[in-house]
Amino acid sequence: MNNVTITVNAQTLSAPEGSILLQVLLDNGVSVPHFCYHEALGVDGNCRMCMVEIEGQKRPQIACNTRVKEGMSIRTLSDSIMAVKRSILELELINHPVDCPICDQAGECSLQNYYMEVGLYESRIDRADKVRKAKKVDLGSHVILDQERCVLCARCTRFTENIIGTGDLVIANRGNHACVTTFEPQGLKADGYAMNVVDLCPVGALTSGDFRFHQRVWFLKSDPSLCHGCARGCSIFIDHYPQKYGDDLIYRYRPRVEREVNGFFICDEGRLSYKNHTGDATLTTPRYSGTAITLSEALELYHQKLAASGSGVVALASPSLSCENLTALRDYCLQYAIPLFGVERGSFDETFGDDFLRLNDRAANRSALPLLGISEDESEMNAALCAASLVLNFDNQTPVSVDQIHFCVHPIDTRELQIPIAPYTEQSGSIINAFGKVQKFASTIRRRHPVPPLHELLSTIKGLA
Amino acid sequence: MAFTVVPRHGNTLKERMYLPSLIGGLSTTFGTFFKNISDTQAIPTLEYPEIMPTDITSRYRGHHRLTHRDDGSIRCVACFMCATACPAQCIFIEAVERNDGCDEKMPERFDIDLLECVFCGYCVEACPCDAIRMDSNIFSIVAKERRDFVVGKEYLLRVRGGYEPETSQAALGGEHE
Ligand code: SF4
Ligand code: SF4
Ligand code: SF4
Ligand code: SF4
Ligand code: FES
Repeated sequence: MNNVTITVNAQTLSAPEGSILLQVLLDNGVSVPHFCYHEALGVDGNCRMCMVEIEGQKRPQIACNTRVKEGMSIRTLSDSIMAVKRSILELELINHPVDCPICDQAGECSLQNYYMEVGLYESRIDRADKVRKAKKVDLGSHVILDQERCVLCARCTRFTENIIGTGDLVIANRGNHACVTTFEPQGLKADGYAMNVVDLCPVGALTSGDFRFHQRVWFLKSDPSLCHGCARGCSIFIDHYPQKYGDDLIYRYRPRVEREVNGFFICDEGRLSYKNHTGDATLTTPRYSGTAITLSEALELYHQKLAASGSGVVALASPSLSCENLTALRDYCLQYAIPLFGVERGSFDETFGDDFLRLNDRAANRSALPLLGISEDESEMNAALCAASLVLNFDNQTPVSVDQIHFCVHPIDTRELQIPIAPYTEQSGSIINAFGKVQKFASTIRRRHPVPPLHELLSTIKGLA
Repeated sequence: MAFTVVPRHGNTLKERMYLPSLIGGLSTTFGTFFKNISDTQAIPTLEYPEIMPTDITSRYRGHHRLTHRDDGSIRCVACFMCATACPAQCIFIEAVERNDGCDEKMPERFDIDLLECVFCGYCVEACPCDAIRMDSNIFSIVAKERRDFVVGKEYLLRVRGGYEPETSQAALGGEHE
């Protein structure tokens, strides 16, 4: 498409001819209140909130259903268009309960933001006259619906219908009584992607049952990261909050737009996987024989055991470790002539993959193994394990029957030596997804008592030897 | 740099003689002394804490309390507005689902660290529900240990408004607990 020039509030912009005007305005940082349009869902034109003034047109037009043409002149701030926006917002809010104090959306709510931007009117509706609907409907899949707060933008229904194809959600009834509800009696399933409707919903009508009431969003810090739930490596935001007298806790994962990898969404399993990396879910002190020991005691034990086992040592690496950790581990094993394998039994889940985002390969960085020369030969690994007297297990879930030393993120129910290593949320690194895309992630969580990442621990170990 | 010359005081003859001021001061001291011992009931200071002040206005910011709805249940909806406004960050709230039909949300934990609190009253201003007030008329807060100054939801709900005579701290004889 060839670029054309348009004027917005006396500012000149260049945009591809025929592109969606609203998207062009938003991309250029021009604020246009809107509910129903979403880049991933396309134009629906039902909310009428995105009105702009176009030179030469008699009436205000919706920017989402207007295509860019050469020489267009657009006004989004004139008194007349502000008055239009104000009355549309007033209409949207006519039956709205405005229970922001107990609404999880407060702080990231389009209604709140637009009210401050274009509203600021006195309500003409008495609260007693508002239409009442269901306040707390558990739709299933950790999604809670508040029908009163809904602005009927149909983002959620379009998601289940056009993106997932299940059509679980519908808008029932008409006029004042229209409300979102589930079509199927079993509730919202959306094939494991249901919680994306929570992000899509511009207001507090759909909220996450998992996040519900745990934290107000304005306290949360959002940092970009990568989901390690499967080999796709979806881009996410980690929303966390360092407690005043406690640890830095993760409250939720949200999808981050990455067109080449995950687009606008993530799967529910990945979204909820934050629970494995926050609070007490991870191992924080070394353990031996069921009791906590210090790191120096643990490393001493490690060296004793290593010396006692002579040449019968085999190392297993998790294929989810970052490239940095795998490189350090490979070099360590080469230095001490320890055979290293990157095979993890059980890390392929034939039931997990689908034709949207989820992949059967549940390891985040398997593509790095051949590049780093780490063996993926399972029969060779089995032979080595049969002959081994000690296995150094670097967060690998393969069941092993010989004595092991675990370098692990999560506590394991064993009396063997366990040494904690930092989860990916607490270190920076890079992973290579199933399609060969190298992606970097940064450290987001600062623990009160940080656990070292594997590569740091290995240099400590080398220093002691 | 512009500066102003401020004239030094105390240079007059009377001031430099020193004695007139001394006599003036001592006469005030002795005047009050004899006035007080002649009528001890009229002494304007209180023998606190045996005698409690009775002239604290209802706008005084004392110990916080959490208020009740008409049905006696907690008014707070755990919206965190107070905790957000609090400059000392001394309000610690954990919210839960509320299932008694009153509302959807309420605090499971509502702790105020009274040692960190600066008694600014912002929490009261911020509350959209009139759920927190500082009108308990409790102005002296005593405890034996630091952690006892962290008061919880149950305690805050028990504290009552201080400006009916029977519940003011003065009427209770200064008791905190
Ligand atoms: S949806 Fe927005 S405006 Fe409505 S109650 Fe929730 S935060 Fe408030
Ligand atoms: S529930 Fe949310 S996303 Fe769905 S129609 Fe209502 S406001 Fe839109
Ligand atoms: S009085 Fe001020 S410092 Fe004390 S709890 Fe309220 S807001 Fe915080
Ligand atoms: S006391 Fe008021 S401001 Fe604080 S959480 Fe409760 S309702 Fe909100
Ligand atoms: S965003 Fe244009 S009509 Fe809804």
